[in-house]
Amino acid sequence: MPSNRVLTGSRAMVEAIAHEMRADPKVLVMGEDVGAYGGIFSSTTGLLDEFGEERVRDTPISETAFIGAGVGAAMAGMRPIVELMFVDFFGVCMDAIYNMAAKNTYFSAGHCKVPMVLMTATGGGYDDGGQHSQTLHATFAHLPGMKVVAPSNAYDAKGLMTSAIRDDSPVLYMFHKGLQGLAWMAAPEGASAEVPEESYTIPFGEARVAREGSDVTIVAISMAVHHALAAAEALAKEGADAEVIDLRSLVPLDREAVLRSVAKTGRLVVVDEDYRSFGLTAEVITSVVETDPGLLKSAPRRVAFPDVPIPYARPMEQFCLPDPGKIQAAVAQTLGKVPA
Amino acid sequence: MTDIRIPQDLWDVSDTPEGVVANWLYRDGSEVPARATVAEIMVEKATFEIDAPVAGRLTISVPKDGVVRPGSVIGRIDAT
Repeated sequence: MPSNRVLTGSRAMVEAIAHEMRADPKVLVMGEDVGAYGGIFSSTTGLLDEFGEERVRDTPISETAFIGAGVGAAMAGMRPIVELMFVDFFGVCMDAIYNMAAKNTYFSAGHCKVPMVLMTATGGGYDDGGQHSQTLHATFAHLPGMKVVAPSNAYDAKGLMTSAIRDDSPVLYMFHKGLQGLAWMAAPEGASAEVPEESYTIPFGEARVAREGSDVTIVAISMAVHHALAAAEALAKEGADAEVIDLRSLVPLDREAVLRSVAKTGRLVVVDEDYRSFGLTAEVITSVVETDPGLLKSAPRRVAFPDVPIPYARPMEQFCLPDPGKIQAAVAQTLGKVPA
Repeated sequence: MTDIRIPQDLWDVSDTPEGVVANWLYRDGSEVPARATVAEIMVEKATFEIDAPVAGRLTISVPKDGVVRPGSVIGRIDAT
């Protein structure tokens, strides 16, 4: 029977991890509260019961130690999946991530692979303050040596996780808390999805056309895809037909998909929950402009988090976060409907 | 027709009288296999799984975010 199950993001991640753990005894999971608790964002629920404490390891609260251990395990032939509970906590363990995981393949001239998945929760919008609410996509995408993926729905969450575990490079798997289907945090309608029971992979660097359109291209990733789709539906009622591109991975970045779409629409809005400056939005726009500035009929626009630490107060955070209304306003500017 | 009912002893109502349907894992009207997990119930921050008692067509009566108590019927399954 073909599956008609509608899985949440967290269940899709767990299903991919469990499948790979059954297939390959080298795969293990480490992190804070990944065992009995099942991951504070449910990314490891049930794994301890099936695989036991040897392969699902609760660690002390020392990211420096357990991510360093993950790098060593990976170089010694294991395939660890290590959870950094909130991406915001990267500060104490960046040496392990960036000077070890990302570089050791290069430093060893390819003799030592680092097949580690570092999965980490991103995103705000639920009043958790500036040290629990960032996405930091660009912080990691900027640094060479790691692949960086960020699914927007459960189908992609499973396929990208399977690809990440099988990849011989370190992969940063950035899952948005608001897409996990957690009972205590609202998720957009499209975050859960029909997910096949069998294993499948989604190649890195292949964007998905989430909605076809002809008037303007909206490029997004992770939670921003859902804001872009909501904006596109509202724009359709006003007679503007938006195409929405879900990048799915930052590294590698599917610049070709963006160029194909902009060649068709001539207008570009890029949406990212990460900070505005020096980020994904600029990178995507540059990909178009340095290839052929003549593709654009109007100045490109970006919708991203302003360059300030994320406020704790709900009205202030919501004022800053990308949302469908801000995307609609940006699209209107590209269409020349309001003064830029 | 078989009710999908929340077990009477799923949680201690003297601590927490109510829970909510966190997620349905099948759409209303779809076919579900017997014993498949069809719904998640959240009580405080703990999640409980509710399984299909039999195979058949699912009818959802308490939607996502609906309030439930032990013994509540949240849907039914009609054998097909």
